[in-house]
Amino acid sequence: MSRYLAELRYYPGDPLEEIRISDLKTLGKEYGVNISWTKTENREMKGGLLMENTLDKRIEDITQEVITVSSDQEENFSRCLVALYKKYRCPRTPYSLLGSNEAGQKIAKKLMDPHGGW
Amino acid sequence: MKILALNGSFRKNGNTEILLKQALMGAESEGASVEILRLTDYKIQPCRGCGLCLFRENVCQVQDDDVNLIFSKVDECDGMILGAPCYFLELTAVVKQLIDRCWILGHKIGKVRKPATVIVPYATRGWIPYVSLQSNILLNIMGLSKINEITICTQGISEVVLDPEAMDLAHEVGREIAIAAGKKDFTYKGDPGICPSCHDWLFRILKDRETVECPTCGIRGKLSMREGKIGVTFEEKALAESRFRPDVGYNHFTYHIAPSKDYFLRTKEERKLKTQKYKDYLNR
Repeated sequence: MSRYLAELRYYPGDPLEEIRISDLKTLGKEYGVNISWTKTENREMKGGLLMENTLDKRIEDITQEVITVSSDQEENFSRCLVALYKKYRCPRTPYSLLGSNEAGQKIAKKLMDPHGGW
Repeated sequence: MKILALNGSFRKNGNTEILLKQALMGAESEGASVEILRLTDYKIQPCRGCGLCLFRENVCQVQDDDVNLIFSKVDECDGMILGAPCYFLELTAVVKQLIDRCWILGHKIGKVRKPATVIVPYATRGWIPYVSLQSNILLNIMGLSKINEITICTQGISEVVLDPEAMDLAHEVGREIAIAAGKKDFTYKGDPGICPSCHDWLFRILKDRETVECPTCGIRGKLSMREGKIGVTFEEKALAESRFRPDVGYNHFTYHIAPSKDYFLRTKEERKLKTQKYKDYLNR
């Protein structure tokens, strides 16, 4: 288990550009961190809009893309998060770091203000 | 066809009311029936932040005031004129009070389309930076499309009648809104501003010092300089990110707000424990 782990949860409309695994692999290599991506899709087209009832669902089960970053090196971990925030913007809700470990969440939150979460 | 004027000024027969009535006379000259509501004559309770309207659509806990009446008047009209004075950099508090109560209309964002125009009398040039921001929020969340906005420099009570150009302008925007409502024409006719979506001039510099953002719409662009003039360039896709588009508004409610219920329930015990000392503190 890495010392720093962050799960960045992006919901529909959040990322400034499409999240591609190839881009993430490039970033992971550049900053020397482990990086992975999962996508959950539960929306249905209704009346011209992609819709979903999220009110009574677990946060982990609603439509989202999760980028998981982990590393033992604080600097590499931080620099990769900054690059991700710059590329996709930072996660936007108080629960969008759910699943992160304490050390990872602390850094991920601290970087939000200066790098995209204002 | 009906044109409704919402008056955000407390003063009877003040500049805002005079300008609104002048605009309504213009609307009547185009065959519209008209109505004016002075917001301060109605009880508008503050939003309690209970979230009930977000978690159970169309339910507001505040029932002992006149907000539903105001909303029903907006529903009934075919076009609206919002008038409010600018006393201190922005519109009056009653407008903001109404904006806060509009969460319950969130499902209307970008869906219901009626034309609207805005009239803002103010006293000192350069002291009105936030008036468009507020009116844009209110109109957008009510499902109205702003087609014009005029700001009139005037000061003492009813002095605006001494300004024939201002009175003519108000009459003209009244005619214009009636014609637009009749034709269901939402073409924007006012000052184009900088934001291609809400036409405001107000922009904020993001902390990356590379990007600027319309604080109302949330669309992002890059500063540009052409022939010594500051501008903002937007990529085509940026326009699709305006928070007042139906899909963006829907995503906000669905993914940023509704799932907070799960988070709220998960953290219940911890919150209860950590909140106790604040319940006890200064509350004896």
